[in-house]
Amino acid sequence: MAADTGQNLATYPEGAAYRRFLQRRKRTGAVWKGLFLLATIIGVLVLVVLVVDVVDDAFGYIALQNRVNPETLVLDYYKQKMTTQPKTLASEDDAILAKGVGARPAAVGFFGNAYLEQNRETLRALPIDGVALGPETVAADAYPLARPLFLYTTQDILRLRPQVAAFVHDYLQTANQTGDAIGYFPLSAEELAAQLTNWGELTGLTTGTAGTLFPASGDVRVTGSSTVAPLTEAVAAAMQAAARLNGRVTVEVVGTDAGFRQFCVEGIADLANASRAMNNLDISACQEQGRIPVSFQVANDGIPVVVSSQNEFVTGLTLAQVRQIFTQAETWDQVDPAWPAEPIFRFIPGVDSGTLDFFVAEVFGTELAAQPATVLRDLLTANVSAGRLRALEAAKPIATLADDELYQLVESEVLKPQVVESWSLFESIFDRQEIEATVATIPNAELQFKSWVNWQFITSPQSSNALQSGIRTAIIGSLWVTLIAFLLAVPLGTAAAIYLEEYNTGRSFFDRLVETNINNLAGVPSIIYGMLGLAVFVRFLGPLTSGLAFGYGDPSTANGRTIVSAGLTLGLLILPLVIINAREAIRAVPRAMREGSYGLGATRWQTVWHHVLPSALPGILTGVILSVSRAFGETAPLIVVGVSTFVVVDPEGPFSKFTTLPAQIYQWTSRPQQEFQHLAAAAILVLLVLLLLLNAFAIWLRNRYSRRII
Amino acid sequence: MSISVATRPAASAVPGQAPTNAIEAKDLRVFYGDFMAVRDINLNVERRKITALIGPSGCGKSTVLRAFNRMNDLVPTARTEGEILFHGQNIYDRSVDAVEVRRRIGMVFQKPNPFPKSIYENIAWGARINGYKGNMDQLVEESLRGAALWDEVKDKLKQSGYSLSGGQQQRLCIARAIAVKPDIILMDEPCSALDPIATLRIEDLMRELTAQYTIIIVTHNMQQAARVADYTAFFMVDDTRTGYLVEYGPTNQLFTAPQDRRTEDYITGRFG
Repeated sequence: MAADTGQNLATYPEGAAYRRFLQRRKRTGAVWKGLFLLATIIGVLVLVVLVVDVVDDAFGYIALQNRVNPETLVLDYYKQKMTTQPKTLASEDDAILAKGVGARPAAVGFFGNAYLEQNRETLRALPIDGVALGPETVAADAYPLARPLFLYTTQDILRLRPQVAAFVHDYLQTANQTGDAIGYFPLSAEELAAQLTNWGELTGLTTGTAGTLFPASGDVRVTGSSTVAPLTEAVAAAMQAAARLNGRVTVEVVGTDAGFRQFCVEGIADLANASRAMNNLDISACQEQGRIPVSFQVANDGIPVVVSSQNEFVTGLTLAQVRQIFTQAETWDQVDPAWPAEPIFRFIPGVDSGTLDFFVAEVFGTELAAQPATVLRDLLTANVSAGRLRALEAAKPIATLADDELYQLVESEVLKPQVVESWSLFESIFDRQEIEATVATIPNAELQFKSWVNWQFITSPQSSNALQSGIRTAIIGSLWVTLIAFLLAVPLGTAAAIYLEEYNTGRSFFDRLVETNINNLAGVPSIIYGMLGLAVFVRFLGPLTSGLAFGYGDPSTANGRTIVSAGLTLGLLILPLVIINAREAIRAVPRAMREGSYGLGATRWQTVWHHVLPSALPGILTGVILSVSRAFGETAPLIVVGVSTFVVVDPEGPFSKFTTLPAQIYQWTSRPQQEFQHLAAAAILVLLVLLLLLNAFAIWLRNRYSRRII
Repeated sequence: MSISVATRPAASAVPGQAPTNAIEAKDLRVFYGDFMAVRDINLNVERRKITALIGPSGCGKSTVLRAFNRMNDLVPTARTEGEILFHGQNIYDRSVDAVEVRRRIGMVFQKPNPFPKSIYENIAWGARINGYKGNMDQLVEESLRGAALWDEVKDKLKQSGYSLSGGQQQRLCIARAIAVKPDIILMDEPCSALDPIATLRIEDLMRELTAQYTIIIVTHNMQQAARVADYTAFFMVDDTRTGYLVEYGPTNQLFTAPQDRRTEDYITGRFG
């Protein structure tokens, strides 16, 4: 639109000039809009980074190391139990056992099959759950007590001591035939081939070049399982007879466990006979000495449960009966009423025997969580100090604990798992392989994904053990302190706001003084309130705030550093906030509403009570919630007033010692251990959620109330 | 000391026996701080008549109206000189309680301001705080009928006062005012926020109310003053922005034969 008059043309830009002008204005606007957007984005980003950082620390992998291996715990429990039964003979030497069972009609026992073969005329093997021991049932994995037998050595020994390599070579080649003759079950063709391949890789020799080892010379020292010993001795004898080995082969019979110890720790053997595979503990014990164990499966063994051939009443056992016989029954008729009331004589391998370990693992299982409550209870009472036991008993009688509670107690009190290494969420997601590699180098460590925020964390009191530490005490303390602050600040603050808005004319000196000071109080740093609280509530009013004046507390320890002191201090801290917010809310009530009320002959009090306060309430509530949130998250004044850094007992009332959530977080973050940083992050998450809940509740309350009055 | 109820004429009193003036301002001056808002007002308001206060903006007519029930007391800096005689008693006397004055002299405001309560509670609240002991349902119905609102709201007494239209809200405020049985009802531009139809209804209502009540109304609308008022007072503002009463008399006379030149100029639209 072009202008009509020359004057307009001169005064306002028109046409192209106007469009340029318009564009310039819009550009300016766009720049400002961009700046505002940028500010918003930065704000949101900072918040997101904050939350992400907290979440990052609150979840992630941990490497857990049990102080006690749970399998060993269970294994040792049953071994101990079995070997200490009355009328029980435990020996590492299977020959003694075979002889013992054979001599008594009421005896029962178990040991390597070789000894059964040697004593066929005096012994009888019992089918278990209807499955008899034999090459077929072992190969089909149907017989419950079948197991592989091993020979352990290291690659270094194989390479540095050719006579050992030669011995193992012949051992593998001949074990199937030799073993069969003396009561072992042969390896399958595939199993055997795999062992030979393994031997080749470890020694660097092939079938062709293996011949260079023979005839070998030098001594071979073997130790370990009595079950494997006959086979080893037979192989040695055959080699010496064929002059393939010029040297002595010493075979010590000490049991698998002791054999591993001698081989790994003491290093006095070239080979360890083993009736079970090494577990993590054994392997790490070897690794600690710089030995990397390698194993060869040399045969399969089935453990027969045997009675004397003079025994006429037992024809077979179930697995449950086997358990009963070896851990509790005293006479045969307790196992089966049809059997005579004869006492049971038990002949079992000794505690160092791999056969016993294997028997326990197969018959009872070594998984801790699968054990019945009686076993867990026994484990707890046997492995915890008497004092600690009394404390636990006082917290909750052990007899009344549920199975899962019992298991947790065994885990925390006996296994005592510890975090040896921990990772953040991002590391856990992106460096998974690296983490696994790291954990593999930590002996006996278990990798676990851990949410540091969990129910146990929320409901447990503080502890010096990061895995058991929680924030229950802190949450309860925070709630108490906030409640007292609320009770002090809200009535006082609202009352003061009503006075200042409705009664204060602003004309007197006093009115103006109060007015000015309240606004300034809101700006006082919180630490100053801490000093005030320390001076007034803790020191001056100590007898009141410690509860001594009301007959609470112990005069020697009470010092006013209690929930009351902290609550009152925080109450003072938020008082100006409550007042200022309540004044705003009251001021926002329309003047017309007051006039309507006064116009009907209402007094000032009636006007305030019936109209001003109800209308201002949503606004007052908002202010109160903001203030309470502030009190909930406040740390500095509490540290001055004397928040406890380590309390494990829930506060019982306003005169208790206490800690609060923020103080707890502060205390954890100042600890050097990584796991406490994770705990701090988890506590921050809980704090944030609690604050969000608090605010959501306030908003809900406000909306509900606003709807009702309009 | 309180204003004697005995001197308040009952509705059934024989006309002529009671004094004809309901309220009287004598040498009234109102100050806001150091500023004198109105000066030397002398006004004699007749019983059961409608008296309109008119004049240009800022002439102090609302201040005078608010002086009649001590509403100005709510302004912290306000100060009043002179006398306002109500049943022979100066309501500004130290012994008189402003709360009682307001209960005897009710007020309806420019913008409808029902309480954020139900319609029923809007009426009942004023009665309750003033110690009413009678049948509340009856009082509510009576007051709503008095304000010509009953038929429109009798089925929704529990609903919020805000659910009504502007005109209905204003009539609710009138009902609220008459529920406490005042002698005088002050109305501060009661129709300025309403449409013409609602305005007419209020005006009709005012005429009906004169059977029992004295009404003083402030209005910007000269037609309204001419339509409803029995008496009209014309206010002006001087160079110091202080308001003063120019002319006061029967409405007919003031509009048809004003004594003062300034009144004539104003009502003929020459200024203001």
